[in-house]
Amino acid sequence: MVRALWTAASGMIGQQDSVDTIANNLANVNTTAYKTESNEFKSLLYQTIQTKTTTANGENKPVGAQVGLGVRTASVTSQFVQGTLVDSESDTAFAIDGKGFFAVEGEDGNTYYTRNGNFLFSVGVNNKMTLSNSDGLPVLNTAGKPITIPANYVSSEVVVDSDGQLWYPDDDGTLEEIAGMQIGVFQFQNPSGLEKMGDTLYAETAASGAALNEATNDNLSKSELYQGYLENSNVEVADEMVNLIIAQRAYEMNSKAVQTADTMMQEANELRR
Amino acid sequence: MVKGLYTASTGMINEQRRVDVLTNNMANSATTGFKKEGTTSEAFKDVLAYKIKDTSEPWGAKTLGTMNMGVKIGENYTDYSQGALHETGNTFDLALSGDGFFAVEFTAKGEDGEAGETSVKYTRDGSFTLNADGELVTKDGDYLLDVDGDHIVLDPTQEFSVDRMGNIMQDDENVGQIQITDFEDYDYLEKYGENYFQTVDGAAEQDADAAVYSGYLESSNVQIVQEMVDLITYTRAYETNQKMIQAFDETLSTAVNDVGKV
Repeated sequence: MVRALWTAASGMIGQQDSVDTIANNLANVNTTAYKTESNEFKSLLYQTIQTKTTTANGENKPVGAQVGLGVRTASVTSQFVQGTLVDSESDTAFAIDGKGFFAVEGEDGNTYYTRNGNFLFSVGVNNKMTLSNSDGLPVLNTAGKPITIPANYVSSEVVVDSDGQLWYPDDDGTLEEIAGMQIGVFQFQNPSGLEKMGDTLYAETAASGAALNEATNDNLSKSELYQGYLENSNVEVADEMVNLIIAQRAYEMNSKAVQTADTMMQEANELRR
Repeated sequence: MVKGLYTASTGMINEQRRVDVLTNNMANSATTGFKKEGTTSEAFKDVLAYKIKDTSEPWGAKTLGTMNMGVKIGENYTDYSQGALHETGNTFDLALSGDGFFAVEFTAKGEDGEAGETSVKYTRDGSFTLNADGELVTKDGDYLLDVDGDHIVLDPTQEFSVDRMGNIMQDDENVGQIQITDFEDYDYLEKYGENYFQTVDGAAEQDADAAVYSGYLESSNVQIVQEMVDLITYTRAYETNQKMIQAFDETLSTAVNDVGKV
């Protein structure tokens, strides 16, 4: 009996986790480059409640009667599906079409990765114009160094091609390559293994594998950069609403099981009056 | 008289166990690849009853007929019917349509002596992912096996696709085939938990006819209406047995306290 109570409780907890994840997805439906998450469940261990069991025609079954002990959340997985690209007014907005990530340098000196390409030029170290994200973290180039342009450049005239290379028009209006300033794009063997840091930043972990630099690794299928576009969140509201209904009803169903277990224990107590 | 008390108590215990099994179905109504379980009840063996030491019977012990001492779990069965497939869009979310299981190399965890030992387990839960070495693993890091029983190692920098036969194609080359195993008799499968099944002695493998759908997951096959109706049945049967015990209690009370009262 108590077994049923705990089993149903594990079901309620699992569904609650699921609702938490769905709520976070819905809250981030307009967050640039947000990747939707989903809960996956696994059954808990099984116990044998009766060792000898027989089939309908009286033969012994090879396996005893087993009862499962409930459910647990196995993983909350981010779905790294491409979001739609939307037009942006900003010249320093970038969207990645492909599997790559931008790299930024955090306050702590570590490198973090993001799909959010809503960047701007700000005055950084040594008064140089530095490309940084909206929190002021410098965006890194293919060599892992901040991307800077000379102070006399007009930032709105910087052009970035689909490889991430920065160009600037010379006096005749012909585009000239800004040497060494190519926005770094990195891939991971297992992006689901990245650790989420908030602010749409991800950190490399043992599970994700080391960052693979698209510029130096020829085997990678290259991502393309689009200047003037941002990647929308890939949350599908209709899917989330359906998942919400399922999670809520499953929660309700498990709470009914708790009530039933409670009633049955009460009845057992009433045996002795 | 008192025997009836015990018979009714076996009824209560039996219904309690059936509710335990049913609650697990409800808790796993959203578990990928979960197969619902059910229980049947079975009567205890019939026993012969004799009348003894009754001097009114001239020929010694007289047979009264058979009687039954109660009920227990007959069998615990698993309904292996197909769950609905729902789309996820991830290449390595694989769903099986038809009979068969994925084979997974499971590494025992925990502090007991078996930790680190590996064994093959079977599952219908096809939510796989790549680990840092490019191996195809479950979300808990257990290895998916190919037709030869080896780990599946892929080049993570290339695109992949999985066809209906479980062949993994990468760069127009076949880089491996996922093992799908079926069994002649599912009675020889035991639940391990973690969505895994394991075989017991006597299990015979056979060719699987399941098709692999990449980008889908199989939902659990729990039917809410069925579970709710069963829950009502079980709890009412529990209540009935409880009422029987109370009735026996009252009768006993009358016998003890009231009979022979002056």
